[in-house]
Amino acid sequence: MRLSARPHHTVGARRRVGNSVPLGLRLAGLVAALGQAGALFAATIAITVQEPGGHPLAGTVITVHPLGSQSQPAPAVHAVMDQVSRAFEPDLLVIPVGSTVAFPNSDSVSHQIYSFSPTKRFQLPLYRGTPYPPVRFDQAGVVTLGCNIHDDMVAFLLVTDAPFYGRTDATGSWSAEIPRGRYRVSVWHPRLRDEAADLQRELTIGETDRATLTLRLAKSLQPAPLEGRPHSWDSY
Amino acid sequence: MGQLLSRPGKSSCVARCLLALCAAAATAAQAADWELDVDARLLSSEGGKSFLEAGLGTVRFGQDQSGLRLGRARVAISEPFGEVWTLHIDASAWGDQDKSPVGVTEAYLQYRPYPFSGYRLRVKAGAFYAPISLENRASGWESPYTLSSSAINTWLGEELRTIGLEAQLDWLGTRTGHTFDLGLTGAVYGWNEPAGVVLATDGFTLHDRQTPLFGRVGRAGYEPLEPFRQIDGRAGYYGGIEARYLDRVVLRALHYDNRADPSAYDAVSGAMAWRTSFDSAGVRIESGDGWTVVAQWLNGYTYIAPGGFELEWPFNARFALLSKRVGRHMLSARYDQFQVLSGKGNPEQDGSQQGHAWTAAYLFQLNPQWRFTLEWLRVVSNSYSRGDILGTTGLATETQLQLAVRCALGSSVQ
Repeated sequence: MRLSARPHHTVGARRRVGNSVPLGLRLAGLVAALGQAGALFAATIAITVQEPGGHPLAGTVITVHPLGSQSQPAPAVHAVMDQVSRAFEPDLLVIPVGSTVAFPNSDSVSHQIYSFSPTKRFQLPLYRGTPYPPVRFDQAGVVTLGCNIHDDMVAFLLVTDAPFYGRTDATGSWSAEIPRGRYRVSVWHPRLRDEAADLQRELTIGETDRATLTLRLAKSLQPAPLEGRPHSWDSY
Repeated sequence: MGQLLSRPGKSSCVARCLLALCAAAATAAQAADWELDVDARLLSSEGGKSFLEAGLGTVRFGQDQSGLRLGRARVAISEPFGEVWTLHIDASAWGDQDKSPVGVTEAYLQYRPYPFSGYRLRVKAGAFYAPISLENRASGWESPYTLSSSAINTWLGEELRTIGLEAQLDWLGTRTGHTFDLGLTGAVYGWNEPAGVVLATDGFTLHDRQTPLFGRVGRAGYEPLEPFRQIDGRAGYYGGIEARYLDRVVLRALHYDNRADPSAYDAVSGAMAWRTSFDSAGVRIESGDGWTVVAQWLNGYTYIAPGGFELEWPFNARFALLSKRVGRHMLSARYDQFQVLSGKGNPEQDGSQQGHAWTAAYLFQLNPQWRFTLEWLRVVSNSYSRGDILGTTGLATETQLQLAVRCALGSSVQ
């Protein structure tokens, strides 16, 4: 599996911050800024995820939910998960609730995509090319995708209702500009073995301009899927 | 012109039908996944006369067959029917003296509904391989590690084929947050009642030639045998389990019993029903840095009781294979041990055999289409039949060196 860092998600999360803040909150922030000399509207949140040995963990999904107040999910996106050389490309996508994902098949062989995850059950009958419209994901959660023809194909979609999200880069880091407040920061990776409760932290962004959090995993990741084996090896 | 359009002539109808057929064929061809392989061999052999020529050689090519040979020419098609049915046909030419120059090794219809709540069901009907080998994992039931299969899997390719119905139910733990999958397999089948006779006469061999459905296997001192036929009308069965840890470890165990009536025989051909039963187990472990270990074990017996007297041949075999893949290169080594014993009613040790084999192979995969393999195989065996049938010494050391050039084409080749 290629769980490489995807810096564009980080950039995207930063860009989405401005769009996702509700108008009321913006006004409240403005009033607060006017009322409290020196107080700034937004601060930087910087998360770093490390493996037990201290090595940075790239590709980890970070979601940030405000605590104690209602929040809107980040704006929906239109994403693409291709199928190339009998593998999903990319094999992990993070999308806000309400997003759509297209599943084109760029291979010369047919694929038959399915998910039996409670978050979203769907099937795309045997196809090549792009015969089907994108699939919409309206519920937050993890969606595990497979191909009913090629059993070794697997991919994940994390559908999030968080207003801020992204994935760690090659240095294991992700950062974004977010309004001051209290947040729950969650990390997720398909190969994590830590307990779910250990993968969340509460974080308060008060007067400082930059809040940092380093999360070191207690357990090493599951082994990565094997790479480089010819596809014909799994015929029996 | 208007008349022509409103009343098409006969030739116009035929043309339209042909066009429709062409369009349908084109659509079908587009949907089907296909593969065409040609494998040519340059070989030097110090082996005994091949089993295909009524010899007792334990390797595929005898001394007189050194030179340029056809390893295998194969065509395979998987054609979907509707959403959850697929027809798979695998046909091969081996360039030897079978009844037909081209034979079908597998032909089955598979039902593969979508997985539900973490479970996956697969049902096969037709002719196919039982899920025993952890070595013959590549398309066409080939081993990707060596040219010649282990003694165990060579025997499966020679004498065993499931001609019947198989169901497999998997629990997909790895898709539901766990690290392992579990599977159960069960099958009922027929047309496999002579299975075991080759072991009892020729013993174990090591090669890659699979017996086609209507093909024959040579036997020293006897007429070639057709292993896929029904004699007493009784169905056989097997049941197996499989466990997988991620995509790193596969464990398989299976019990096979063809339930043949050992006293039954075909009055016309004289072919007997051989009661064959065995247990098999195996493990395959792969690491992230290209190492693979495969080990399999087989233990069973084959038994006949024509006219009231009983003859039994217990058999067992095992092998361990170690392989290292670095980019497009792969080196593999395998050690085999095998024996056929003389059991009940067979004090003369008729048909018994003991032996071991070393195999070393280097494979270079230039691209998905072209592959080059160099294999050295040495088999040391002691066979009662060599003295009894051929009048030679029982002990033989056979060496075969092969260079294979394989070209694969098709939508399945990527």
